[in-house]
Amino acid sequence: MRAMAVAVLALVLAAVLTLTVGVREGGFSLVWQALSAFDPNDPAHIAIQSVRMPRLIAGLIAGAALGMAGTIMQAITRNPLADPGILGINAGAAFAVVIGSLIAGRADNGLMAALAFPGAAAAAVAVFALGGGLKGDAGPVRLTLAGVALSAMLLSFVSAIILARNEALEVFRFWVTGSLAQAGMRPLGYMAIAAVFGACLAIAIAPRIEALSLGSALARGLGTKPGRIQLGALVAVTALTGAAVGVAGPVAFLGLLVPRLARRAGGHVLRRELIASAILGAAILLFADTIGRIVIPPTEIRVGTMTALIGAPMFIWMARRLRAGASA
Amino acid sequence: MNAKTMAGIRGSLILAAALLIAIVLSLMIGQIRLSAADLWTGLLTGKGPGALTLRVLRGPGVVTAIGAGAALGASGAIFQILLRNPLAAPDVMGFTSGAGLAIVCGVLAGTSLPMPLLSAAGGLAAACLVAILAIKRDGSQVPITLILVGLGIGFLTAAANSFVVTRLPPEQAAEAQRWLTGSLAARDWGHAGQVFGCGTVLAVILVIQVRALSLLELGDDLATGLGLKSNRARLQLAGTGVLLAATGVAVAGPVPFIALMAGPLGMRITGAKQPGGRILSAAVAGAIITVLADLAARSIVPGLQLPAGVMTGIFGAPYLLWLLSREMDAGDI
Repeated sequence: MRAMAVAVLALVLAAVLTLTVGVREGGFSLVWQALSAFDPNDPAHIAIQSVRMPRLIAGLIAGAALGMAGTIMQAITRNPLADPGILGINAGAAFAVVIGSLIAGRADNGLMAALAFPGAAAAAVAVFALGGGLKGDAGPVRLTLAGVALSAMLLSFVSAIILARNEALEVFRFWVTGSLAQAGMRPLGYMAIAAVFGACLAIAIAPRIEALSLGSALARGLGTKPGRIQLGALVAVTALTGAAVGVAGPVAFLGLLVPRLARRAGGHVLRRELIASAILGAAILLFADTIGRIVIPPTEIRVGTMTALIGAPMFIWMARRLRAGASA
Repeated sequence: MNAKTMAGIRGSLILAAALLIAIVLSLMIGQIRLSAADLWTGLLTGKGPGALTLRVLRGPGVVTAIGAGAALGASGAIFQILLRNPLAAPDVMGFTSGAGLAIVCGVLAGTSLPMPLLSAAGGLAAACLVAILAIKRDGSQVPITLILVGLGIGFLTAAANSFVVTRLPPEQAAEAQRWLTGSLAARDWGHAGQVFGCGTVLAVILVIQVRALSLLELGDDLATGLGLKSNRARLQLAGTGVLLAATGVAVAGPVPFIALMAGPLGMRITGAKQPGGRILSAAVAGAIITVLADLAARSIVPGLQLPAGVMTGIFGAPYLLWLLSREMDAGDI
């Protein structure tokens, strides 16, 4: 419980920092005023309401969703390297949206909402099929390499389309690395609903995922149907990842970092781990975003770059710890 | 002459013909389309549109692509033979992105050091880091850990690259982004001379080292019995491999997947079994892939030059996937 309390405190702190850091004058009291007694004539208030608040909300949605998606994926694949970014699911959502808006000739929020989810689902199915997940247990090495390859291919397509359309570098950064910089333009409402749906589904099926991780024969004996649970997990991961990509682009590595920490806070009970990963995911993403904004002003480092800078060493550390027997 | 040598010769001829066709196509196709006859008169007389294309417009780019592709392909084959794993290529293990990072950092710092030097330093640093981090607690080194740790170093350098790119002014940032994807746009004879100069030196070194590689193929015990210091030989070969990759990166950027694809592709066509033959066929295959990727990148969308790395990413990644499923069925990883 203490770890959970720490996580909540961290999230509150991260949220406050997201709203206050970088505000020129007034700091916390100005932010408080803008939220409690909004003055539509004060440009500072408008900036907080229209720039900072969307950024905070997008960070909350994307962070919580990616953290939970990572935890489910690691639980169901028993692969400590599983992450929606590394396994190409983020890239699938980004690819579907970018190619869809190229074909449709428009890039509105409805289109994005309609395409991000099927894209994520298709990539998830593809990576498991290619990674050997259909034949039996997908080994961490093969699944990871399949994800890296799928992700490389899809993001190459995304870069080709964006470069061919001569879009601004900012668009490229959003769709290739992930960013919270223009959160106000994203379909926050739609994606929040999808993320909440995914989160509820994940929490609902969590005990049965745990049963499944005892081995499918034993799980069947306990009255669970492995196929259905896997389908449920796929739907949850798709909803969560699609929502995150919709508001923040393909941010990678958060799903790798968060589950390890959540396991400590959740005490190895999947339901509690999921709640902890939502809190920790949002907190880490908001911290990473805030740090990215203040290290080299006036330019800001995109949040996807920040998570990769933290997450890549973690990936190396975990790869070293994989036992030889676990690599098959 | 037995059937096997015949097949080998036929394969080599096919590979050489493919390279020639790739070069001619790449010279002919572009914003202005030329016929083979135009090129031929240009080559013979030094006049007309053909000559201009050869000398200025497309010639330098194509020659640079050949050099960079050959260097990357040879480098890939060295590591694939050395580590006995087709996935062990310098681009999969993060060496090329390390080289790319060093160059971008050099540009940011405004250094006057030559590109190949920066690139070599970056590549070697990345390779050392991967080698050190992949050593397990009991001192052993498993190829698959090496590959995974290398992937991690690749992720890290990619993140560091996008960090460095944000620090550049906008126009330069867009240019750096393209370069980091791997691009052969606007290369001149200086680039071509550079890649062939460095490449030739390294090729000579490789010719001397190739005997050691053949001995290592026999297994450590036998190689040591035949008087080889296996660990030293392995380090020297890895050094040459990294420098070859860095040579390619210095002129073309960290183009992904060429080094990975070239070795198995070349070996499949020529059927070469000996390390020397495998490296040579990988170099030619690498050149073919790079020339074609560059051609595709600049002609798929009319009027627009995409980075060549986008093309190798689109076609190389599925190859990696296919390789993986095959390896897995064979039970190798």
